[in-house]
Amino acid sequence: MQPSSRRPAGSPDIDHRPRGGVDRASRPPLYGKGLRALSISTVAAMALALGLVFFYAPLEAEQGFLQKIFYVHVPLAIVALCGFVLGGLLAIQHLRTRDPRWDMRSYVTIHMSLIFALGALITGSIWAKGSWGHWWVWSEPTLVSFLIVFLLYATYQPLRFAIEDPERQARYASVFAITAAAFVPMNFIAVRLSTAYLHPRVLGSTSNLPASMAFTFLVSLLAMALLFATLCKYELTAKHTRAQVRALRRRLIGEAPSTRGAGRRSAAPTLHHATTMSARSAGTPGL
Amino acid sequence: MTAALALGELPALPLHTAGKYVAGAYVVLFAIVLIYVAIMAIRLSRIERELGELLELSGEQPPEARKPDPLQRESTPA
Repeated sequence: MQPSSRRPAGSPDIDHRPRGGVDRASRPPLYGKGLRALSISTVAAMALALGLVFFYAPLEAEQGFLQKIFYVHVPLAIVALCGFVLGGLLAIQHLRTRDPRWDMRSYVTIHMSLIFALGALITGSIWAKGSWGHWWVWSEPTLVSFLIVFLLYATYQPLRFAIEDPERQARYASVFAITAAAFVPMNFIAVRLSTAYLHPRVLGSTSNLPASMAFTFLVSLLAMALLFATLCKYELTAKHTRAQVRALRRRLIGEAPSTRGAGRRSAAPTLHHATTMSARSAGTPGL
Repeated sequence: MTAALALGELPALPLHTAGKYVAGAYVVLFAIVLIYVAIMAIRLSRIERELGELLELSGEQPPEARKPDPLQRESTPA
């Protein structure tokens, strides 16, 4: 017989009510809120995009089947570049408010953009090999400029790691993120102004694509943006949960250093301050 | 410039040749997601372990220690 309660048999009956007089309104924001809906939307959008790419979009006249890489390479690159700019905007917010949660968001966004940019570089190289017969063409400004942006952001983590004081680390990282974010559109414009290029122009020229290809591309772009948002939200939720566990540990065993990870330098922002802050001022929205 | 033009005018690859490049590009995307999921799984298990330690510290038994053992119950004489 099933028990009347929805709790499965044998599950712990942990009292989830906050102790120490912390009411529901003053709880820290839940980063995991809406994560399930976002994940389902991402999976649906990715499945739709793949279906459109392989069963709906026509073969391109010049490149044939190889052109299908376009639907993964270009969205990866666009989302990565937009993520870098977003990281800069979030860093501005951090410098304005001095709230470390904005630094955390900026860090996670840039971190994820770097992974997407690496994906764009690898898929681009594969496409170049199939299309041009070379893995990399150094005389091509689009490729080299994207590599420069990637390498610029690759120094973000070592920069953070080099600074021990968390507050100074966050401040310097924000300044870096803003400067580098300003560099991204400048770089983009500079490449646009160059005359000799082999790499096809995509942004601003989607109207040249047939309607079915343009639609498939836009769905792929949306799916990639959703994937980016979902992974960022997962990362933020994980970091926030870990910070809460650490705060709980400190509360239970005092300020004594724990056996694992205490005093270890890290490139990732510390959310200890943010956790205590959010316990005092609730209602700050998540990413 | 001529080299670039020559590269740009390469004919389309046949399906059996282009297929491996397309597959490679999409495998890269799924590898990124899979690696990320694996990293998240490791992190989740670490958080779970830390929470178990904290539960022990707070005086409560961890969930697995409180699960009733069905074999033990069955072997208990009525």
